Amino acid sequence: MLQGLLKRFSGQKKSSDEAKKRLQFSLIYDNLEVNDTTLKNLQTDIVDVISKYFEIDKDALELRVKRDEQVNALVFNTPILHVKRKEV
Amino acid sequence: MEGKVIVVTSGKGGVGKTTASSSIGAALALEGKRVAIVDMDIGLRNLDVVMGLENRIVFNIVDIVQGRCKIDQAAIRDRRIKNLFLIPASQSDNKDVLTASGVARVCKDLKAKFDFIIMDSPAGIEKGFENSTVGADEALVVCTPDVSAVRDADRVIGLLYSKSLSPRLVVNRIEPARVERGEMLSHEDVLEVLSIDLAGLVPMDEKVLISSNTGTPLVLQNDSKAGFAFRRIARRLNGETDLPIEVPTDKTSVWSKIGKTFGLK
Repeated sequence: MLQGLLKRFSGQKKSSDEAKKRLQFSLIYDNLEVNDTTLKNLQTDIVDVISKYFEIDKDALELRVKRDEQVNALVFNTPILHVKRKEV
Repeated sequence: MEGKVIVVTSGKGGVGKTTASSSIGAALALEGKRVAIVDMDIGLRNLDVVMGLENRIVFNIVDIVQGRCKIDQAAIRDRRIKNLFLIPASQSDNKDVLTASGVARVCKDLKAKFDFIIMDSPAGIEKGFENSTVGADEALVVCTPDVSAVRDADRVIGLLYSKSLSPRLVVNRIEPARVERGEMLSHEDVLEVLSIDLAGLVPMDEKVLISSNTGTPLVLQNDSKAGFAFRRIARRLNGETDLPIEVPTDKTSVWSKIGKTFGLK
């Protein structure tokens, strides 16, 4: 109880709370670790779809998983060379 | 009726897989079931010393899988607990000596002879883990309330799901006083992080080391808190699914209880 009193008045944080928070973050990070083959396959698929509508610079494009404390995102960045004309 | 294969695994080493395997196995035998506990840690066997059966080994699991002996020749009968058997690991062989198909075939044979087959998996997620899970009907994941064990447990849980097994969690070595002081993850924290069903909560208990020193079953000791917890887990595995989960408490600390009433955790 004394320890509890001390902690309450000194504003000391519980280390177990920190452990929980750190674990939750690291598990999200771990699960987002995508292997290279998956990422490459995904890239090919995305390029195929986009190529139907746009002419893109396939060498300059970039695909990665961006991790942040708040959100995790899949970022696909590509320069567009031309818009393809709709086929009639 | 056909028996059930339960794999006990964890990812991380040293969290109590062997203690859990031997205690749950022994407790199931006390419930009147015919039980075989299989040491799958090829090359680093330990279950035999923990169970106090080390000087009765003749054949081992590798001999069975490779057809050098029959199951009955390798299974060592425990003389203290009726219907409890140990199938030891081989100490000299290489880890990769077993094939998954061979183990799966032996699991089938074991199910014809026993009600429960407990597979004590080695640490890690390599071949030894694969071999331990290949014939499993159910899975128990053991973890302690620390960041490394919980993280490894998460990885293993993912792997088990990919094998269509729905694991249940055993949180081992809970120290209620430290949980209360905020120095240790509570079982609620662990469950929230892992989002998995619970098989049971086991308190830290000095008796575990003592019983392994002498090779006597923990569940036969009348004063072991961990032993009682493992017996409850065994009853749950044996069909008493509505047996409530008992949360370890710190009965000695009166002051912390008074503290808690005043909200001073």
